[in-house]
Amino acid sequence: MKRSIGQDEKEIDRILAGEEEILPSSGFAVYVMDAVRREAAAPPPIAFPWKRALPGLVVGAFAVALVLVAVVVAIARAIGASATAQFSVSFPSVLTPTFGFQHSLETAASWTVLALVVTFVSVKLSMRLTSGRA
Amino acid sequence: MSASASDDQADVERVLAGEISAYEGIVRRWQGPLINLAYRFCHDRGRAEDMAQEAFLRAYRALSQWRKDAVFSTWLFALATNLYRSELRRIPARTVSVSLEDITEPVDTRASDGGLEDRDRDLAVRRAVLALPAKYREALILFYFHDMDVTTAAQSLGLPEGTVKARLFRGREILRGKLPLLMVVPRLKEA
Repeated sequence: MKRSIGQDEKEIDRILAGEEEILPSSGFAVYVMDAVRREAAAPPPIAFPWKRALPGLVVGAFAVALVLVAVVVAIARAIGASATAQFSVSFPSVLTPTFGFQHSLETAASWTVLALVVTFVSVKLSMRLTSGRA
Repeated sequence: MSASASDDQADVERVLAGEISAYEGIVRRWQGPLINLAYRFCHDRGRAEDMAQEAFLRAYRALSQWRKDAVFSTWLFALATNLYRSELRRIPARTVSVSLEDITEPVDTRASDGGLEDRDRDLAVRRAVLALPAKYREALILFYFHDMDVTTAAQSLGLPEGTVKARLFRGREILRGKLPLLMVVPRLKEA
């Protein structure tokens, strides 16, 4: 026999509204209160040391900005160089790889130096900030 | 203001003034509803108590954030519902892993001819609710938990009433579509 939508709705309501209730375990409230007391007794979380971290953050931000500027300059130079190369096809081709190799060596060296400086500064700074805390 | 609401407000004020033991009044008043709400989400008694305990702890931590423009119980239910929803999304209830599509055709004809116990059928329908997509499942659970009151269900879910009504309609529609099968075959294939 086909059931009507209304009958099905009523059946769903009857089943879902009539779900049995469960009773809390006898010690539930005590467990919760123990947890609450532990929570209240625990020392407040240590605030983030903004004062100490600020110099490091400033140096970090400066280093990131420096790297970004260097990348932009390098890209601009590369674009400029490729534009020049288009007009200098008469150069002997045997010289180009040597020039390119030397140029990339210089670039790599300057990046390495920059990385070392940034690392040195950040290590020194963090050591200085943490000294006297142990 | 009802007796319970004024008791809640008085207890909250005492707790905020540093009298932690006053929180016990709140726990004792609301432990039943919070555990039962959690139970409807997971159908696992142990997990329901764990989730309710976490809800009480979070409520304690956030007690100063309760603005008295809403009744304390409304705030508490909204907080608990939020927690239960995210808990269930993190670790789904065991029965939720059973898809609506997993409801099998009868194997034993005697079962469908004679019909199984009402209790088993009711259980199958409740499991089917847990297998619904989260947004329909949550709307249905809250609606029936709050004695079919859309306004309270919407407050607990933090959604507009219209959205809850639409989700209820769609959720019930899906259930109704599956109901003949649930009525005949109140058994779910175990995952």
